[in-house]
Amino acid sequence: MTNMENKTVCCEKAIGEGVKFERIRRITGYLVGTTDRFNNAKRAEEKDRVKHCI
Amino acid sequence: MITKIRKRNGDIVDFNPQKIQDAISKASAAVADEEISPAQLKELTKTVVAALPAGEIPTVEQVQDRVEEALIAADFAKTAKAYILYRAEHAKIRQSEGDLMDIYKELTFAYAKDADIKRENANIDADTAMGTMLKYGSEGSKYFMDNYILPKDIAAAHINGDIHIHDKDFYMLTETCCQIDLLKLFHNGFFTGHGCLREPNSIISYSALACIAIQANQNEMHGGQSIPNFDYSMAPGVAKTYRKEYVKALSQFIQIRTGMSWEDADALCSRMMKEIPLELNLASTEEFGKKMAEMLPAHQRENGFQEISSETVAAAHKYAADEAYRETDKCTYQAMEAFVHNLNTMNSRAGAQVPFSSVNYGTDTSPEARMVIRNLLLATEAGLGDGETPIFPVQIFKVKEGVNYNPGDPNYDLFQLAIRTSAKRLFPNFSFIDAPFNLQYYKPGDYNTEVAYMGCRTRVMGNHYDPTKEVTCGRGNLSFTSINLPRLGLEAKGDLGRFYEMLDERIDLVVRQLLHRFKIQCSKKVRNYPFLMGQGIWIDSDGLTMDDSVAEVLKHGTLSVGFIGLAETLKALTGKHHGESAESQKLGLEIIGHMRKRMDEESEKTGLNFTLLATPAEGLSGRFVRIDQKIYGKIPGVTDREYYTNSFHIPVYYPIKAYQKIQLEAPYHALTNAGHISYVELDGDTCKNIKAFESVIRCMKEAGVGYGSVNHPVDRDPVCGFTGVINDVCPRCGRREGEPVTIERLNELRKKYPDVPLHYDCTH
Repeated sequence: MTNMENKTVCCEKAIGEGVKFERIRRITGYLVGTTDRFNNAKRAEEKDRVKHCI
Repeated sequence: MITKIRKRNGDIVDFNPQKIQDAISKASAAVADEEISPAQLKELTKTVVAALPAGEIPTVEQVQDRVEEALIAADFAKTAKAYILYRAEHAKIRQSEGDLMDIYKELTFAYAKDADIKRENANIDADTAMGTMLKYGSEGSKYFMDNYILPKDIAAAHINGDIHIHDKDFYMLTETCCQIDLLKLFHNGFFTGHGCLREPNSIISYSALACIAIQANQNEMHGGQSIPNFDYSMAPGVAKTYRKEYVKALSQFIQIRTGMSWEDADALCSRMMKEIPLELNLASTEEFGKKMAEMLPAHQRENGFQEISSETVAAAHKYAADEAYRETDKCTYQAMEAFVHNLNTMNSRAGAQVPFSSVNYGTDTSPEARMVIRNLLLATEAGLGDGETPIFPVQIFKVKEGVNYNPGDPNYDLFQLAIRTSAKRLFPNFSFIDAPFNLQYYKPGDYNTEVAYMGCRTRVMGNHYDPTKEVTCGRGNLSFTSINLPRLGLEAKGDLGRFYEMLDERIDLVVRQLLHRFKIQCSKKVRNYPFLMGQGIWIDSDGLTMDDSVAEVLKHGTLSVGFIGLAETLKALTGKHHGESAESQKLGLEIIGHMRKRMDEESEKTGLNFTLLATPAEGLSGRFVRIDQKIYGKIPGVTDREYYTNSFHIPVYYPIKAYQKIQLEAPYHALTNAGHISYVELDGDTCKNIKAFESVIRCMKEAGVGYGSVNHPVDRDPVCGFTGVINDVCPRCGRREGEPVTIERLNELRKKYPDVPLHYDCTH
């Protein structure tokens, strides 16, 4: 299994019930794993980000 | 006659007039130009005591009111003001005391997902026992600092959000970070506490000991650890493995081809390694083979040993060289894979987190170093055990013209591979040695003069204290404190003169605080840092013994003033941020330029390294604005979001072209000598548009950015192992978030994609 969140989800025929997608974002130069671990301010900032066209 | 007094907690204790005298004397000491003589002090105290109601037990507050009145009546206006401020600050701090137990309650009974305080730093898992214990320590320590250590006005400035003292919980203990020279550390081995580690002899051991060094040093400092020269550091490990593999293959070939016993063949091979006057490595191998073809047959003949022809020796060399290359390459990949895996799993700080690690590389052009970096990038691209994106180490690729930037440069292929890897995994970030403020230190081939960055962005290069040591290795940041810039913008109420006046006052306060902390740091001895100082990692600490003071060598480090929210500051001052108006950009550069000038002046004045930091502000991003919202309400463009914009960045919500964003942010890199980073956000799966990714990196380099990176979404479906962009539906297995996929479907997918994770039934 990949992590704690997913540990309880296996069953006989299908896998993934209740399992979330992992979303990795950079916040201050480094990565911190999935956005679940962001503090509220950083979550808000991540939500507000717009893409930059080239 | 008053004999008792009632304390704030209701206790009644003996009344001691000396305490009144002490309080007045303290307030007086804070005022330079209003002296109170000892006789006047006694008189004032008498007045206060006389003014207290006879026959009653007065409260502390009543006594303090009488002190204020007495000072004003006696015409000590300035001392009265200082006393009133002193009282107010104490009141504020007492308020925070009450909060400590509430904080402990929250830490104990709330889950991280519900409690922001437990997610202040995303790298600490505060739901675990050790994570919670660490938070108890941290919050308790902050309380101790506020109430017993910090000068009251500084404590108050932190509490009310004028400034933010980073890592305040470590105020009495240690420094932020260090750039470790592994080559120097490994030379003749080192000591981590229980027994000596010999100098490593293979790339596998080099990478393992690199992790140990990072971990050991991390436990003695409150910030991260960086290897500024990872390619240079690992290259000797590759050469050692290559030599071992070569000897092994050579001996096997000779045994099989000539029928020689293994004892004789081994003895012959080690004899050759010793006698051939050339050290074998990837670059010298051809020359080495030629020399051996000359020497080996003669050696056999002269000693009356079994004859071996020079053709056989040539064949043996070719076999050994090819075999050793393949084996060494495999070992190097394994070593790098282990390095990445270890740094994402090994514990530090009582198990609450993994070490905060960074590695810089890209400029060593030796074949061994190139093998290391190619394999590190490939291992990073492949990901962790189930294909997850590694979050450590932070990797920084050093871009340099003539070394790796253009086609024909010796490490151009590695630069291309770095781009490909970053397009999939977000790392490496890119640093630019050619930026003028970095290039000024650069000497070709000397890694100590190549700028390095801590993953978070910290940069330590110039050295005012000792200009002969403007180097990366063995140095780091001592501590840093950030200024709430948007608040100054609001308080100035459009008056720029007033803004600068307040900014200067704030800088004065922070400088005083940094020096206060520095003095505490200087009181430590080598034995407080058995690894950092005891093993000679910090610059110039080699010559010190366990009971020597670290005061002098610490001066090579930096004391940094940081800032957050330039965009909101400009909004408050002019109505527009620097992405919206050229005039605001001009003002922005003036403000940050002024701050930098102040740092240079402080360096000049003190002989220390004061530097200006574009603060990373993970925890701080929300703290200042929360306080400011309470004071000023929600002011559009300034306090109306949950965060202040990172350092000098153009706000994340503002639509702007990548090229323009880079052009606007680049000049701030030159001013923020304690560290900086710029990001560009790209849409979609950058793996499919490597050219666009590269054009952003090249644009940063040409614009004079020091350190930058491209942000793009990296999503992963833990069920089928897909990594890339997932909107609502996983492109590989077709499930939506939370939906199950059948085992048959996963087995089907696994035939096509070998990285589909294996799921074990829970009954197993």
